[in-house]
Amino acid sequence: MHEVGIAAGILDAVRKETAMRPAARAVKVGVRIGEMAGIDPESLAFCFEALVKGSDLEPLALEIHRAPADELEFVFLELEEP
Amino acid sequence: MIRVPMEGKVLNENEKAAAALRAEFSRHNVFVVNLIGSPGCGKTALLERTLESFDPSRRVAVLTGDIQTDADAARLARYGFPVRQITTAGACHLDARMVRNALDGWDLANLDLLFIENVGNLVCPTSYDLGEAHKIVLLSVTEGEEKPLKYPGIFFKADLMAMTKIDLLPYVPFRADVAERNARQIHPGIEIVRVSSTTGAGMEDWLRWLRAASAGLAVHFMLAGNNCRAPV
Repeated sequence: MHEVGIAAGILDAVRKETAMRPAARAVKVGVRIGEMAGIDPESLAFCFEALVKGSDLEPLALEIHRAPADELEFVFLELEEP
Repeated sequence: MIRVPMEGKVLNENEKAAAALRAEFSRHNVFVVNLIGSPGCGKTALLERTLESFDPSRRVAVLTGDIQTDADAARLARYGFPVRQITTAGACHLDARMVRNALDGWDLANLDLLFIENVGNLVCPTSYDLGEAHKIVLLSVTEGEEKPLKYPGIFFKADLMAMTKIDLLPYVPFRADVAERNARQIHPGIEIVRVSSTTGAGMEDWLRWLRAASAGLAVHFMLAGNNCRAPV
């Protein structure tokens, strides 16, 4: 239900990260999501895709790593640099 | 292609707002609890019974969240303590920013205890830190005893489970011991109280938990008639 907000938060963080590297283009972002985080990974992936489509970040991909507790954190950002 | 490590919580903006709130609560010695449970599990009723038990001089306030209407605030305001409704206009949870905005104009120095009643939902409020000292999950006996297993996130994060509506236990097939076992399977350290806001059964256990949990703070919201110091 609240995965749209989570996805939007991920995109904002990616924008902030890439703002520091103007020449680079973000390709993929990795997040770690715990079983107890209250986030449905499938729903998050769906919302993420919907938000990315048509945005400045298209075609950014999302990679979800599962974890045992209430993790909800970034892992990596993959960038393409000219 | 390069891969750079990225740190921080996904809900970074909320985490920041929550950390600021927590610092603010701590500075003013305000004990804050975040009540989370399904729609209709008795969050407002428990707060009504709790406010009713407090001496009017106690420095207690309530923020109550709902998607629409200020019906809960109207119910809770009858007890004479400051109450504000947060209407989320569609959002399924409260976030730290909403709490901060709702506190606008309140002097936290005049508060010892703040109840935040979240939007009725066992999923979304789990992810949003509101700067509270404790999350409390409510499970009513008219729900299923397997709920802790179906919604593990909130039972994992809550420090207390309040089993509500226990006056109905004779009339429903709910097995209280099974529900408690399920909650402890998810979170072995979770504390549990059984209460009825209708009969008042178990209210002492709930109030005792509140007192114990806030013991580290200079909080003075004890039951009327108890031996308690005047607010500082």
